[in-house]
Amino acid sequence: MTEFIAKPGVKNLKHEGEKLITTHCSYCGMQCGMHIRVSEKTGKIKGVEPRYDWPVTLGKLCPKGVTAYQQIDHPDRIKRPLIKKKGRFVESSWEEALSLIEKKFTELQDKHGKDSLSVFGGVSMTNEKCYLVGKYARVALGTRFLDYNGRFCMSSAAGGFMKTFGMDRGSTLPWTELEHSDCFLIAGSNTAECHPTSIQMFWKARDKGAKMIVVDPRETPTARIADVHLDLLPGTDSALANGLLHLLIKEDFVDKEYVENRCNNFEELKASVEPFTPEYTSQLTGVDKNKIIKAARIYGSSPRSVVMFARGVEQQSKGVDNVTLYTSLALLRGQIGKFASGVATFTGQGNGQGGREHGQKSDLLPGYRKITDPEAVKYISGVWGIDPEEMPKAGVSAFEMFDEIHKGTIRAMHVVCSNPAVSAPDAEYVWEAFKKLDFLVVNDFFLSETAEFADVVLPTTTWAEDEGTTTNLEGRVIRIRKSIEPLHESKTDWQIFKEIAARLGKGKHFDYSSPREIFEEFRLATKGGKADYSGITYERIDKEDGVFWPCPSEDHPGTPTVFKETFATPNGKANLPAVSWQEPDETPSEEFPIRLTTGRVVFHYLSGNQTRRIDFLMEQCPVPFAEMHPELASRYNMQDGEKIRVTTPRSTMELEVRLTKATRNDIIFVPYHWGKELAVNKLTNAALDPTSRMPEFKVCAARIEKLEQKAGH
Amino acid sequence: MNKIMYLEFERCIGCRACQAACRECGDHDAKERNYVEHVDFMESRQTFPMMCMQCKDPACARVCPANAIQITEEGVVLSASEEKCIGCRNCTFGCPFGIPKFDFEQNKMYKCDMCYDRSKHDIAPMCASVCPSDAIRFIDFDEMQSLRRRRTQMNLVEGKKPTEQDKWKYVPEFFGVYSD
Repeated sequence: MTEFIAKPGVKNLKHEGEKLITTHCSYCGMQCGMHIRVSEKTGKIKGVEPRYDWPVTLGKLCPKGVTAYQQIDHPDRIKRPLIKKKGRFVESSWEEALSLIEKKFTELQDKHGKDSLSVFGGVSMTNEKCYLVGKYARVALGTRFLDYNGRFCMSSAAGGFMKTFGMDRGSTLPWTELEHSDCFLIAGSNTAECHPTSIQMFWKARDKGAKMIVVDPRETPTARIADVHLDLLPGTDSALANGLLHLLIKEDFVDKEYVENRCNNFEELKASVEPFTPEYTSQLTGVDKNKIIKAARIYGSSPRSVVMFARGVEQQSKGVDNVTLYTSLALLRGQIGKFASGVATFTGQGNGQGGREHGQKSDLLPGYRKITDPEAVKYISGVWGIDPEEMPKAGVSAFEMFDEIHKGTIRAMHVVCSNPAVSAPDAEYVWEAFKKLDFLVVNDFFLSETAEFADVVLPTTTWAEDEGTTTNLEGRVIRIRKSIEPLHESKTDWQIFKEIAARLGKGKHFDYSSPREIFEEFRLATKGGKADYSGITYERIDKEDGVFWPCPSEDHPGTPTVFKETFATPNGKANLPAVSWQEPDETPSEEFPIRLTTGRVVFHYLSGNQTRRIDFLMEQCPVPFAEMHPELASRYNMQDGEKIRVTTPRSTMELEVRLTKATRNDIIFVPYHWGKELAVNKLTNAALDPTSRMPEFKVCAARIEKLEQKAGH
Repeated sequence: MNKIMYLEFERCIGCRACQAACRECGDHDAKERNYVEHVDFMESRQTFPMMCMQCKDPACARVCPANAIQITEEGVVLSASEEKCIGCRNCTFGCPFGIPKFDFEQNKMYKCDMCYDRSKHDIAPMCASVCPSDAIRFIDFDEMQSLRRRRTQMNLVEGKKPTEQDKWKYVPEFFGVYSD
């Protein structure tokens, strides 16, 4: 198997005594191509080399990507299994750790039933592993309580796309086409910080004259150069999108033929957006009405446009509504299924796309099959070699699992590839839940805040110590290569599942010796499903620069652009929504007069468990801060750099003030990548979207106070 | 080497990948030699990258009493040679762009060498390789010239004409500057 792939004529620097392993970054959904430098003699990781010929990212990396390799041989790696004894972690053997897990799991299930166990998955890992998480929970443990951290990340986009298109692929077009587009409408995405390597595409299109409309309460680097910056109040996306739809219809920008032939519900939509005049929209969103009109005209008159959004619109109690409304902008303009136009979400996690399709969600089975569909249960049971009767029923969403712990239904949890102690909203409630568990197992390679609550921590490998596939934010299935053998005593997640399954008497269902064997079974499991990977092979991925799903057979070319002729709904037409205005779950009050919104910085990834250990990244951004407009600060007599107290109905914390005029003057922004006393998720609201069960991270009501000066300081 | 480093400040998104990448270059001792700064964070999020201009007749080298700063045959102004640098910091004061850095612990200067181990083979330096916004590019001399011509042309296409008083406006900006 070739480890190094480069196209003819591409020059890379190969240091003497080193080899290059071609792979992708461990972090976000861009999955930037990179080569990892490995010493031929010692097998040690030496660094990173740009992969200039990866067509999506062309060698570009963000600072997280450049330093990603530093996680691998990091001094903080967990070297051996840890068992908590008398409140302290003690290194132990795998035998001891696994025996304890076997004993506890069996005891709890004997006493409290199968569903007393639960699995909390994640999607920053390969398709092979994500697929196995679902199988592990349902076959090895036999529990219905299974869900994953995509509920905090992607589930509103998924829900919105399912509702509108009947299929959830994060992008309807390949991103290599973006530079040919004429207009981008980007909502709730701090693209420059969260998906930096996509900027090259926008800037290239910009060079050719493409227009840009950015919807964000803060003047992000993309908003700063936008033709129109719609600086809305956090939590008012549905009003803004309705206002834009109103104008598209009123000013006759609708592609009538497309809507007639390819959309359901147009009349209902038309009626529901009727009240959203520019004046009314402006009143709800706090955006100047002239800017709304200008945006609608630019978007409406662009021949090729792409609507894009991210967590800003999705992490709300109306996340699914927001997604369906923004998506409808593209539908009314007849943009979906065409060249250099369409709709896309910026997938947050590395394998946020692939990981959500294959049965880590409480109600899904591999291939995006519904667990409530008896045919799907029958098919997957066949692939797994179990009786369909044995298949557990649908469980509950990620955050609701913590409710189940508080209720005493869930007694034990196995957390894989996730750090909900930082990433879940209303964090103190989540911490209490972890304390309440009889038994907590965490797989991780660094001791995360969640792992600190654990009874057993199992050391896993980093992404570079195992092979497999991921699906990037375009829907392109790509290959992750193994750069080195697992370090210390760490094992891959799939080996851990295999060994626990064997101890629970389910070994025959997990008889794998390599990720490739899992992939072969996984292909079969997806066959015939909506997310069909059955025609994709490791060899094709190498040969074709990745393969886009759906790809139902080996002679099928894959599907870079989806919905060219028809949508995946029962009648083949897209469903337009009709959504009325609804306030966010929590609005400012006398006691909590300001809107608090949370987000990311370019130097950290998700809960920060990885990036907070990388020197360069920590030097740039060591602690969270409260970003606000000097006008707001002045009202409270606060200065730049001063410590303040931020309080919401749930909790309180101290933060340093960072002032800039590049934001609305009535909100504060805090990045969320830290744990414990630095966790802004102590303050966030756990109100869930009714469909996607995504919490409302993006808006809650807060109060800020100046801290008293201490004498002598 | 017929390549040049080309900066377009206004493309910068402030991610500092160039600085992280600078540390990755084999000869850089894990210390970055380039800069990314906010123009004024209170006013806007605009940042810009700054790095060695690789001057033809570099002030840093001229003011070095120890002759520690060498210039390669391709014209790359190297970092101070370890053996020769006496730590006088003349170069840091002499450079009109504020580029050379000073390591007070080791008492020596260090600066951008355009990743000479890469650029001597016509492979882009690390900063230009990774820059996600193409604010830093390593391109052919001809491509640079055509980019500069294009900036002027775009202004003319938009119906603006230079006058003696503002002709300088017509040279630098293409990206990010549109019709009035």
